[in-house]
Amino acid sequence: MAAPEILRNLTWAITTLFEIILFSYILRRRVYRSHPVFALYGLVVILQEASAAFAVRYLNPHSIEYFNFAWSVQAVVVCIRWLAVTEIARRVLAGYSGIWKMASHILVLASAIILAYSIAVSGARWDRLITSADRAVELCIGAFIVGMLLFARYYRLAIANLERQLATGFCLFSCFWVINNSIYQHWGSSAATLWEVLSIFSFFATLLIWISAIRNATAPQQVSYPVPISVQMYGELSKELDSRLQVLNRRLSHLLHSQDSRS
Amino acid sequence: MSLPLLLFILLAVFLVFLLGLAAKSPKGLPLTSEEVIDALSQERHYARLPQILQSLREDDTDFLRRRGHLELLSQIRGERKRIALRFLHYLEKEYQLLLEASRILATLAPELSAIGEYERLKRNLRFVLLCRYLRWRLRLGLQPWNAFGSISDMAGEMTLKLEMATAQLGERALMAADFPSFLNKGRNGPE
Repeated sequence: MAAPEILRNLTWAITTLFEIILFSYILRRRVYRSHPVFALYGLVVILQEASAAFAVRYLNPHSIEYFNFAWSVQAVVVCIRWLAVTEIARRVLAGYSGIWKMASHILVLASAIILAYSIAVSGARWDRLITSADRAVELCIGAFIVGMLLFARYYRLAIANLERQLATGFCLFSCFWVINNSIYQHWGSSAATLWEVLSIFSFFATLLIWISAIRNATAPQQVSYPVPISVQMYGELSKELDSRLQVLNRRLSHLLHSQDSRS
Repeated sequence: MSLPLLLFILLAVFLVFLLGLAAKSPKGLPLTSEEVIDALSQERHYARLPQILQSLREDDTDFLRRRGHLELLSQIRGERKRIALRFLHYLEKEYQLLLEASRILATLAPELSAIGEYERLKRNLRFVLLCRYLRWRLRLGLQPWNAFGSISDMAGEMTLKLEMATAQLGERALMAADFPSFLNKGRNGPE
């Protein structure tokens, strides 16, 4: 059993080192100015590692105190992660008031549905409630990010590489967390070491993505967003575009139906 | 493994797949507002569509079959197939241009209706699927000559309507003095 223990400690040490590297890049590149919540998240994950080391040293890892302490810290980290993700979404979409209003409502609604569903299907086992809630939140974060990127792609909004890669890192981490969590729930404590190592590896990969994003980030530019036009003008232009799209659609349908009627 | 757990894993894998699609930069540079307005204000390819469609009528080639010029008939049909495919291509191109314009417009909108956007997305999907379906039918050698011919009667009227709508749209967009500059500012982006 010594080998997995050593591997775990090694990956833990490397991950902590990379967290420190990430935070130092955040400070050096002054990313905290444009992404204050992400910078806070970078700091909090380092503090989480420190608190975990403290807990392992002074608390019994099998005690309820250790469990409560570890999950309380995790809850804080997850909340800050959520805030960091919304910060990215705001930076990507908020400049486009119409899209932002619509997308934020849809994304929040979709997240709430996923959260409710995840908790509902997790059953009423209290011993699994925390891991189930944690998984539900991670799934929510993943779906939120994918939804945001799909909106940006559909409307062809310009996304800075930094935002794109930060969002990708968050999403990958959340998705792998969901998978790991499900594996852990199925195999229980017999897969605890595997679960821990996989979690550390997925976070390690995410850290690499973020470090590369911040390292290659150019100086933050002043983004000029379009000034919204009046509701009336939008209504008129949109109506005309819609009518033209409908005409083309009808034309295609006509083409298809007249073809079908012959075949 | 229980079904909910399996669903969670599948959902997470699906999200990773979607992330792969969504995180990629869109192909090609987005059109600028001037390009969109310019394209919308130009004469469409449909302007000559009635004449093209008229030439696609099946009765135009009946005399060749009656006189036994089968090789010539097949050559003409091949050319007509190419014309039909080109027509579909233009139709699709026109549609994509309009969609691009509607997306640019959406970035300027103070408010968007989720239902309206959903309807547009649905229409877009339907259009793309139908276009592909028709293209494959043509490629598989099905003969839609009469189908194309049957719309020639309405094409003239349609073309006129489209041109009018286009001209109006272009004029109105240009009337909003800062419309193009707003668009371009927005599309410079933070990249």
